[in-house]
Amino acid sequence: MKPVIEVSDLKVFYEDTQALNGISLDVYPNEILGIIGPAQSGKTTLLKVINRTLEFTQGTSLEGTVKLDGVDINSISDVHGLRKRIGMVLPLPVGLPLSIYDNVAFAPRTSGLRNKSELDEIVERCLQQAALWDEVKDRLDSLGTKLSGGQQQRLTIARALSHKPEILCLDEFSIAVDPITTMRIEDVLKTLKEEMTILLVTNLVQQAKRLANRTAFMLNGDLIEIDETDVIFSDNPTSQSTYDYVNGNFG
Amino acid sequence: MNAKIMNRSELIYHIIAIVTLAIIIFLFWNFSTDKPHVEGEITSDLAVDDTSSLIDRYLYRMIPILCGAGLFSIVIALYLEEWLTQTTWQYRIIERYIVILAKVPSLVYGIFAVYFIVFHSQKVLNYPLLLIAILLVMPVTIRSTQKAIQSVDISVREAAYALGATKLRMIADNVLPNAFPLIVAGICTAISRILAIVALIVIISNWINSSNIFTIPKSAVVLISSAVIASIFSSILDYKQVT
Repeated sequence: MKPVIEVSDLKVFYEDTQALNGISLDVYPNEILGIIGPAQSGKTTLLKVINRTLEFTQGTSLEGTVKLDGVDINSISDVHGLRKRIGMVLPLPVGLPLSIYDNVAFAPRTSGLRNKSELDEIVERCLQQAALWDEVKDRLDSLGTKLSGGQQQRLTIARALSHKPEILCLDEFSIAVDPITTMRIEDVLKTLKEEMTILLVTNLVQQAKRLANRTAFMLNGDLIEIDETDVIFSDNPTSQSTYDYVNGNFG
Repeated sequence: MNAKIMNRSELIYHIIAIVTLAIIIFLFWNFSTDKPHVEGEITSDLAVDDTSSLIDRYLYRMIPILCGAGLFSIVIALYLEEWLTQTTWQYRIIERYIVILAKVPSLVYGIFAVYFIVFHSQKVLNYPLLLIAILLVMPVTIRSTQKAIQSVDISVREAAYALGATKLRMIADNVLPNAFPLIVAGICTAISRILAIVALIVIISNWINSSNIFTIPKSAVVLISSAVIASIFSSILDYKQVT
């Protein structure tokens, strides 16, 4: 199967500090790739490189290549188009200063969609997928920033789904969400992988075990191991540090 | 190499700042020692004890200039913060100029305004209006708009960009709505300052044209009250944004 994302010898520097030490991995269509590892291991940096939001951090530079469908993402001139193809959910909720409806309709509108009924349909579908519809369907005109932290995070997920990205990057999406809602969103993710590829960065190793088809373990900017999730969470992963991490011996 | 370039640019904008201050001090000294008027020749169209007259004669002409200066200031602040990188020498020079102009006490501008409007109102009436608008309104509004834009969290920008928004779209939908209260607060501060100066001009004009120096014209009272209200409104907006 041809990979949708090919990362080759990727090195990222924050001024003098090296965050990624030449990692290489492939991501295949319609899979959930779990990326686990302790803090400062480069997980978020990897996601930011893939959808080119690393450019907003001053003093960063990178070496190596990241290809999306065989095209080097750094050679793509339409960066806005690229980001529409790669949805991103950040660890903490970021409510745009717009109504709940407008938050979800933001991305389709930037793509030129103006038809009210189509927008209504997208808003409802995305809010349902993010397990938020029932709570906000009567107050879609309220400010998104007035929602609770957990609701805002689900709104962020709904927003990321609104432009039907080919790849969905989730960076510790459940950090501000209660366990019941997390489980509901996880069920949605299992369904969504039929339509898109999902990169799931998580500190909850059990979440990766529940959701991911394959799991990558990163440590201090290195990709220690990437394999089928069953192998990573078995008693015989390739690396001893992988075994120690998933079994809670460190991290 | 970088350190050398930094030092040179630092030196350049310090020299420019000193020259600007020197020009201001020179002008201040020049008109403070000047005696342009002769007893009985002073005529100022602000020397009226009638609010409607004052508005008719003076403030109506100020409103379009103030609006233009306010809008232009927002555009300049947006350009500085969104397009010009903060580490460039151009940014530093413009920034330094604006900081200096914004920090000059209103009284200094007030003395300029009194000089031009009260003593030379017949010759250069429109010139000081423009001068006051540029010197008094723009730096304050630019500074407040810059601070308002800087206060918008980077994560909001990243969230908008991550959804494929262009820079203009991101500014229109995310930066400006977030920054709007602080921008309005800055404009209110500028309006408050300019109203206070016009009040000063009215009072001085009245003193020159009236034998009773203890009489404060009604128009000046209205202006001072408006300035206080504008200041309070500005403070409320500022406080709400901070909290």
